[in-house]
Amino acid sequence: MEKRDKIIEIRWHGRGGQGAVTSAELLALAAIEEGKFAQAFPSFGPERRGAPVLVFNRVSDKTPIRARVSVINPDIVVILDPGLIYITDVTAGLKEGGVIVINTTKAVVDIKSEFNGSWKLAVVNATSIARDTIGVPIVNTTMLGALVKATDIIELESLAEPLKERFGARAKGNSDACHRAYKETEIAELSGVVKKPTKTFETETFPSWQELLPGSVIPEAGNAKQYRTGDWKSESPIWDHQKCIKCGICYLFCPEGCIGQNKDGYFEANPYYCKGCGICARECWTEAIKMVEEE
Amino acid sequence: MTTKRIGMEGSFAIAEAIKLARVEAIAAYPITPQTHIVERLAEFVANGELDAEYIPVESEHSAMSACLGTSAVGARTFTATASQGLELMHEVLYVASGLRLPIVMTVANRALSAPLSIWTDHSDAMAIRDCGWIQIFAENAQQAFDLVLCAFRIAEDLTVLLPTIVHIDGFYISHTIESVELLEQKVVDKFLPEYRHPYPLNPDKPVTMGAFGPPPIYTETKKAHEVALRDSKKVILKVWQEFGKLSGSHYAPVESYKTEDADVLLLCMGSFSETAMMSIDKMQAEGQKVGLIRLRLWRPFPTEELRQAVSKAQLLIVFDRALSLGGAPPVCSEIQAALYPLKTKPKIVSFVGSLGGREISIQGFEELINNGMNRAKRGKLDEFEIIGVRE
Repeated sequence: MEKRDKIIEIRWHGRGGQGAVTSAELLALAAIEEGKFAQAFPSFGPERRGAPVLVFNRVSDKTPIRARVSVINPDIVVILDPGLIYITDVTAGLKEGGVIVINTTKAVVDIKSEFNGSWKLAVVNATSIARDTIGVPIVNTTMLGALVKATDIIELESLAEPLKERFGARAKGNSDACHRAYKETEIAELSGVVKKPTKTFETETFPSWQELLPGSVIPEAGNAKQYRTGDWKSESPIWDHQKCIKCGICYLFCPEGCIGQNKDGYFEANPYYCKGCGICARECWTEAIKMVEEE
Repeated sequence: MTTKRIGMEGSFAIAEAIKLARVEAIAAYPITPQTHIVERLAEFVANGELDAEYIPVESEHSAMSACLGTSAVGARTFTATASQGLELMHEVLYVASGLRLPIVMTVANRALSAPLSIWTDHSDAMAIRDCGWIQIFAENAQQAFDLVLCAFRIAEDLTVLLPTIVHIDGFYISHTIESVELLEQKVVDKFLPEYRHPYPLNPDKPVTMGAFGPPPIYTETKKAHEVALRDSKKVILKVWQEFGKLSGSHYAPVESYKTEDADVLLLCMGSFSETAMMSIDKMQAEGQKVGLIRLRLWRPFPTEELRQAVSKAQLLIVFDRALSLGGAPPVCSEIQAALYPLKTKPKIVSFVGSLGGREISIQGFEELINNGMNRAKRGKLDEFEIIGVRE
């Protein structure tokens, strides 16, 4: 393949705990192993398990990478969690002719209406593949296979060493996931005009320096509740009232304090704040709580 | 209205100012040469002369941390330290100013280890140059008394709300008995109204103080802090003017001594400026056109006042009492930065000396000024000289 001058920019959209950072790191390591130049870095922050996170890659055949700044106009976006397309503008800044790689249970025909632009769309049911091959719904390595299929960014074989290095005994499952995704990824060309991005990832508005109170005091008590962390979750707790003895252990252990008692005395989680951590289900001694995947 | 002139150690004059200011909370850890201040305050509290919460702590880091708390709940708060103690407080100093808590602190300036030195210089002051506090230098016990009182009024002004340091030279002010005129309680009460923080920590009306500042907000908080610190000069000027009217002691951000006809100016900070005045007197009597300026206000840096003060000078000799090891001496580099944009400005000669308690005599300052004039004549302006070093 002819060596390109171009720097390919990738933006990964995932949730804390899904391994987006690992994916991007493995991709960069594999590309460098091939003699390319590459970088991988996360949007550094206080994100916790379940919170939307961004990770960035730059890869080029012969140009050293200097830009130490987030990717604003990606050539490729990779979406690890299908729910993210409803809460963040995943295609913001995606170039014409760019590629979207998404983990979804839906077929191409059912999801393509969500994207409006002259892009290539690659879909894969990564969660299902990851469950089969690795045993857990952590889709990062699976999505690497889909990414390689949809683009010619690296050779699939180049991931073997980095996977071995990173996962040791678990490398095989991750490698299988990668290869199965490479085979099963469906690709379609989309049409439509790419809209100018109407929003960026920063959907909150912040005060000017003149609006800050001395010492940046926040005089409104308890306003953290305006931050609805419930959309971080990929699983929700469901109570089985046949088994529930109303003991309140779930209420005591919930780190978010989002579990309360309803008028019948049963406990339930407030969906606006429950992050789906599963601690309640783990602590429930009558096994009345099941974690159910969000759709 | 001042009371009659009395003999008193500088540290005790500061303690008297704290008592007159009706300080409500003191958290301090003893360290030479500051100890006499807080010892005297402990006595005042113990014998009921001062109705304050006195918090003995296990370190200066804890002292400043306790001060954050008492100031945040709305108590008028004081502490004092020096040298290693100030360095141990270092990280908390930035919290105090970032939270805009009007704590007042006296620093009895002392060298930094190693080698261990309990003696005075300005290394400790320069190490906390960028901590976001208002910083003022006193030259004698009277000024220390006056400026500490003014510090509360400045710090607690609702448009300022910034912690304030009054620097005093260790031993040369802290342990020196000299004459001081105190103020009567009723005069101080009128000058210094009760402190009311606008957003205190209060369980009945909770606020968040010290929240996380991610990238979209951190720069705005720093700009707000920077503007508040710069703008505090207006309040400093107003408070000093008012204080001058009631006490007869007048203060300015840059103070000049016999500079009217001077072509050559010496610039100093702290107590040794008074020794330098005697050298100026002697040299002027001999017909030399020399004068003295001192930076009273160190933060916010008095750029306009400095430019005004040196506008007619041909040569400015800057005397630093600290090194910025491997770089330009700290005071001189700021003077040079302030004057650099001007079309006409004096030549600058940079000296460093009086480190770790080494004295400089009246004759010593005279030699220093002559040395500076010689260097200027020879065009040797490109590097600073550490004076009085044995070769």
